[in-house]
Amino acid sequence: MGAPLDLFAAASAEGAWTVGEVTRRARTVIEAGLPPLWVRGEVSGFKAWRSGHWYFSLRDQSAELRCVMFAKQNYLLPAAPSDGMQVFVFARPSIYEAKGEFQLTVMELLSTEQGGLWKLAFEKAKAALTKDGLLDPARKRPMPPFPRRIAVVTSPDGAAIRDIQVVVGRRWPLAELIIVPAQVQGAKAEASVCSALNRISRLAVDVLIVGRGGGSVEDLWAFNSERVARAVAGMPMPVISAVGHETDVTLCDLVADLRAPTPSAAAEAATPDRAEVLIHCGGVAQRLARGLRMSSRRVVERLARTGDRLTSCVQHRLETSRALLTAHGAHLDALSPLRVLGRGYAVARDAEGHVLKSVEQFRDGKAFRLRVTDGEVNARVGRG
Amino acid sequence: MDFGKQLERLEAIVRQLEAEDLDLDEALKLFEEGVERLRAAREQLTQAELKVKKVLEIEGFDK
Repeated sequence: MGAPLDLFAAASAEGAWTVGEVTRRARTVIEAGLPPLWVRGEVSGFKAWRSGHWYFSLRDQSAELRCVMFAKQNYLLPAAPSDGMQVFVFARPSIYEAKGEFQLTVMELLSTEQGGLWKLAFEKAKAALTKDGLLDPARKRPMPPFPRRIAVVTSPDGAAIRDIQVVVGRRWPLAELIIVPAQVQGAKAEASVCSALNRISRLAVDVLIVGRGGGSVEDLWAFNSERVARAVAGMPMPVISAVGHETDVTLCDLVADLRAPTPSAAAEAATPDRAEVLIHCGGVAQRLARGLRMSSRRVVERLARTGDRLTSCVQHRLETSRALLTAHGAHLDALSPLRVLGRGYAVARDAEGHVLKSVEQFRDGKAFRLRVTDGEVNARVGRG
Repeated sequence: MDFGKQLERLEAIVRQLEAEDLDLDEALKLFEEGVERLRAAREQLTQAELKVKKVLEIEGFDK
């Protein structure tokens, strides 16, 4: 690789190196010798091409470097750098063969002026949080289905708190909203947010919304503090972060159980919709009525089964009785006086039906009735 | 009463009525409890008004 460009040796075979050979060789040498690195400098001659690629130079007092940042790398940046801006780039030094130019292929660009250094701090803190497992998706907790207390940490006079109040009031007024005011910007913001979080961690709260009061991007600073991020991660209840912008994800967003784009969206995520819950209650009412019907039907069925058993039991008893009765009847029949009459005896009774058993009862001319086996006849005592 | 617990109890009542062989007496008792809880839950849903407190004002709120 590192062969010296010996004029005579190089000129030997074909007479001279081609331009392409030289640039290719130079490129190989440089790419092997200079791994990707961070470079600091001032942007000059910035130009964004139609293709989306960016071309510019980085310079300091003594030198200048051509840079290219391709669209697939720069589309993640919120804005293009402008001439004169101090930046850090993470880039691969190489040779652009077509022009024979030494250049940096930029993979990452951070401005030291628009939060660029903060971004470095952000990446460092993010790495530390990742290492401790605090960004693990498995840590994300689900929201409580029917929250009783919802706490909000935010600036007390921003629009966020009003929006949250409106949404929770409409969707889930059963909850109690606990507002913990915090200073979200300025030098004391970090301490103020941490102290608010600390207070809430000691309250019986089901879900916490951390929101920004609205305002400029500088407000984000407190929510990019590693201290705040660790405090959020350590909260005993699920946390919804409504802090960042669409483009600026904060550390607070990353460690929270849920990230919401706006305070209103956070309030929606924290609450069920009472209209839907009412519909659900309607379903429960129907199931309740059906449940009672099922229960009573089972009771009726059981009763019917018991009834059947009762009937068959009674029938059995009845039959037994009937048999007994027949037997007794036969017995009685044997003892009946009518049977005696059948053998030729007769019974005499007077008009009142008294049985006449003695001679004295048969005075002359007395009428009486005589019962024989197949009926009665009238009779009268004759004169002897 | 806490709404979540209310609804949980209601679901338990319904499941019991649907699945278990109960005395008519028990079934009726459960049904009446269910109806009462349902009424309370609906009332909560329709009558509740959001309470807002600033943490500076509240005392004795600790767990």
